[in-house]
This record gives sequence, C-alpha cells and structure tokens, in this order.
Amino acid sequence: MTASSRARLARHPALGLALTGLLLAALSHPVVATQIAASLGEPTRRSLDVWRLFALTSRHVILAGTGFALVAVLGIGLGILVTRRAAASWRPLVDALAAGAQAVPPVVVVALALPVLGFGGPPTLLALVAYGIMPVLRGTVGGIEGVAADIREAGTAIGLTRSQVLTRIELPLAAPAIVETLRTALVLAVATAAVGALAGAATLGTPIVAGLQNQNLAPMLQGAAATAALAFLSDAALLAIAGLWRATRR
Amino acid sequence: MMPEILVAARPRGRACLAAMVGFGAFAIALFALPLLSVAENRLALGRPVFGAEVLGGNGALVLAAVLTGLIFLILELRRWAPFLAVAAFAFALLLFADALGQGAARSLGGLAPAARASLGGGAWLTLGLLGFALGLAIQRTRAMGVGLAVGIGLILAIGMLGHAGRFKALSLTVEYGARRDTLDTAILDHLVLSGAAVALALVVAILLSLWRRGQGFVAILVAGIQVVPAVALLGALVGVTAGLLRAAPTLREFGLSALGAVPAVVAIAAYRLLPLWRGLALALHAADPVTLEAAQALGFTRRQTLVGVRLPLGAPILVGALRVAAVQSLGLATLGALVGAGGLGRIVFDGMAQFAPDLILLGAIPVVALSLGAEMGLSRLESAARQRWHA
Repeated sequence: MTASSRARLARHPALGLALTGLLLAALSHPVVATQIAASLGEPTRRSLDVWRLFALTSRHVILAGTGFALVAVLGIGLGILVTRRAAASWRPLVDALAAGAQAVPPVVVVALALPVLGFGGPPTLLALVAYGIMPVLRGTVGGIEGVAADIREAGTAIGLTRSQVLTRIELPLAAPAIVETLRTALVLAVATAAVGALAGAATLGTPIVAGLQNQNLAPMLQGAAATAALAFLSDAALLAIAGLWRATRR
Repeated sequence: MMPEILVAARPRGRACLAAMVGFGAFAIALFALPLLSVAENRLALGRPVFGAEVLGGNGALVLAAVLTGLIFLILELRRWAPFLAVAAFAFALLLFADALGQGAARSLGGLAPAARASLGGGAWLTLGLLGFALGLAIQRTRAMGVGLAVGIGLILAIGMLGHAGRFKALSLTVEYGARRDTLDTAILDHLVLSGAAVALALVVAILLSLWRRGQGFVAILVAGIQVVPAVALLGALVGVTAGLLRAAPTLREFGLSALGAVPAVVAIAAYRLLPLWRGLALALHAADPVTLEAAQALGFTRRQTLVGVRLPLGAPILVGALRVAAVQSLGLATLGALVGAGGLGRIVFDGMAQFAPDLILLGAIPVVALSLGAEMGLSRLESAARQRWHA
C-alpha cells in the first residue's frame, strides 16, 4: 500500500462511521453498560448477556436487511419506470403519493398494520417498506433527471438503444445520488426495525422498550448503544462497498 | 377531416382502459370485500358484512356516481368536465359515508349495546380509491384553490353528518365519544410537543450556524445524530437524565424529570437539527455574488444585507426546511409517548396494548391529518414565498 493510498483510506468517510459504530458496540457489552448504569447511580440489576444480545442483533439484521432489500429493489425499479418517457403523465401522481406516504410515520404504520397482520415481524416489514420506498424513488428520479439531456442525446446519436442509454449512461451517472438515498433508506430500516419492538418483533428495540417500562437502565442502554452501533456500521459498510464498486469500474 | 371537437372528445384508448380498471376496483371494493365487521364487543372477532347488505339501494347509487365521475375524467370534452368529475366523486364520497353509518346502525339492530360495527377492508379501500380519484380530478381541473375548497367543503359536510348522528353506530365514533376529552388534550399535547421541538431545533441550528470555525465538526455531529435510531436516542436520553437527576437532585425543582416531555422534545429537536441547519446554510447562500456586490455598492451594512437581501432571497429554502422539520416532528412526537410525554402516541399505544383497532385509528388519524395539514400548509407558504421574492 503506497503512502498516498493509505492517506486516502484514513480520510475515507466510512472510517469515522465505522469507528463510532465499534465504540457504540463496545458500550453495549454487559460489563461496560452495567458500569455506566452504576456510575449513573442505578442499582445493579440484570443486564443482557452477550448471547442474548447476539440473538437480538441477528434478528434485527435479518428484519432490517429484508426490508432494505425490498425497498432498494422496488424504489429503484419504480424510479426507473417513472422516468421513462411513456410514464411522464404519472409523475405528478407519484410525487403526491410520495409526499402522502411520508406523512404517515413508521410507528403509525406499525400500529395500523397490527390488527391486520398480527404481532411481530410482518407489520414492521410493512412499515419499513412503506416509509423507505419513497425517499429511494425520489432519489433515483432526481439522479436520473439530473443527467444532462445532451449526454443522453449523444448516447442515442452513437446508436445506443433505449435500454443501453439507461444502463450505460443514466444509471452510472445517477449512481452517486442513488447511493446517497440508499444510505438514508438503510439507516431508516435499522431505526424502523427498532420501532418494531412495539409490535412485538424481537429486535434490539425490545430491551429499550422493556427497559423503559421496567425502569431498568442497563438493558436500555445496551439496546440503545447496539441499535446505534448497527446503524453506524451498516452505513459505513454501504459507503465502503459503494467506494469499492466505483474504484473497480474506473 | 373530423371536426376538432369530436377529435378532442374521443378519449384515448389507454385512458379508457384505466377508467375500466378503476371502475372494476370500485365494484370489488364496494361489493366483494367486507365493508363492516360486526362483533359482540370491542375486542371480539367480528363477522364480515358485505356491501349488498350494508348499502342496500345506495350501493348502486354510489357506483353510478363513480361511473359518472370516471367518464367525465376521461372525456376531455370541455374545460368544465373535470369539475363535474370532482362533483361526482365528492357526492359519491358523502353518499358512501352516510350509507355506511346507516348500514352500521341497521346491522347492529337487535344486538346487545356492547356490540360494535367497525369499518372493514372494503370500506377503507373504497374511501382510499375515492380520495385518489378526487385528487386526480382536482389536479385535472388545473384551477387554483379547488383542492382547498373541496377539502373544506367535505370536512364541513362530514362534520354536519356526524353532528346529526348519522355515524353514531360506527365503532370509531363510539370510541371517540368515550374519549373526546382525552383526544382533545392529546392533540394539544402533540402540537405543543412538536412545536417546542421545532423551536428548540431552530434556536440550536441558528447558534450552530453562527459558529463559523466549527462548521466541519457541526456537519459531522448533526449527520451523526441522524444515524442514531429514534428509539435508541430516547432510551439513552432517559438514562442520562435519570443519572443527572441523581447527581443533582435540585434539578427536579425546575420541573426536570427523567420520564416526560423533556427527553422527548430534546430527542425530536436533535433529529430535526440536520434539515434546519442545512436549510439555514443554503438559505444564507441563496443570494448570488452579483446581488451581494450590488447591495455593497449601494452602501448596505452587513445587517441590512442580511435582512434586506439574504433573508428574503433565502426565504423559500428556509420555509422548505421548516416544512420538512415540522412534518417529521409531528410523526416523531408519536414516539414521545414511549417515555411518558403524552400526545397522540399514548392513544395509539393504548390501542396496541388492548389490541383494539378502533382505538389505534382514533390516535393515528389525527397524527396523519396533522402531518398532511402541516405539509400542505407549509408547502403553500413555500411557493408563496417563492412567488413573492423570486417573481
């Protein structure tokens, strides 16, 4: 590794995010969290052991990951569809729906879906998709529309078909904008999975909600630190993957 | 060659197809899905009741009104055709609401007083489709203020029907009647909670943007807070406040407590810092250098430049940032109930705990209405600011 590439790595934005995430993950360790709770004057009570924490984390990751995958596929796909010329008349409608969907916060979606879908994962997944899809759609549309018309025309002029214009010109140029909105969606997915604890989904939100109800500080801090750690680490991972992908294409 | 009016009157094939699909969706929602669910009490599982039984003759009338609206929507015959479509859909909506209330009363006849009739999937789908069609028709009129007028008119009409007791058999109304005072306080609490949070976030965002040297650090800080999930931030804040109160019990005398409005307001405000801080920065740099030089040449002081040039030019961006902050705060305030801050979230969480769908709705409908109201009102203000200063 040369000196300049090492310097570039040290300045990479993903590094700071990853370090914050690791620090928060350390805070969620039972020993550390109990110490903090004790220093805040809390009498020592049972904290979550490492295995329980791992189990909750993996459930959280599966739920948020599934939701994020759905959001990414549907959001980017719909974004591509509405920017096609044939769909131009649907744009105002999609924009209105986007604004409307943002007005229904995830907690409310979870609550409303509860009587229909029952307790646990499904209402959380619905909230995840309903709330996350619109930012991704908007970001994709913004990215594709930001491609200058003359570049697109140049593509047509050298004989590219419509789908080639999409895959070789529009999507690569829109990629930075799409990655930005995927970051937002990923952070939202991690946060919404935590809210799902209210509907009985076993995630890292569960110890927070239970801790708030029983006034038990240590598991509450553990859950909070672990959820935040997961958000920071996944954000860093997405940034790093996007950076690597860009580097290989260059 | 065909006369022009005939060419214009012939609807395009795709529009025809869309209208037929729409009509089919309405027919399915009205007659194939349960409109009501009648149960022995508010927690029991209900028996589905379908459109033919609930609506009676009114069902055909609603469907006829919908068909009229759809036809006017696809016929681009005259400029007033979309207005007739708006009228038809609005009529269908009111007729459907009234028929639902009456149908609920009929299906509860002869049952015990504890029996409940709550809205089923078909009713929600029909209401959603009608709202969608109405929005589409309003958009087609391309006239200013139609949406606002129709909205106010519908709210007044529904309010009058409700006042006349036409909906009193619906479970939602029963739930509302039982908790009218709680709901009023909750709405007020909710508004205070999110208003206080936006105000706090605005003050902190202004202070942060005044700290010129530390903008890089501020950027990392506010973006970092955004990554922390809301539930986690609430939990951490409650923990820290509890510790703070133990270390310095005198703080209690100032009304600070670990559970309650304070951690909720702080958490919501912390989340809204990013859009407000970014909006402030963008708004202050909205004026282009030429304009600023002109102001300087005219002998404006820095304060005069700020008040007379930078703020008016940045106003739309600032209002836009405020809109985002306000809408999201209203949503986040729902979570405040988790730490005992009250608000509409309490009703929602009560409903979840009791597994009572109508109670959840009673809390959720005002949350959505408030968010949508804030979104519409402030985006109107945003475009007004844009027209006023950027014409």
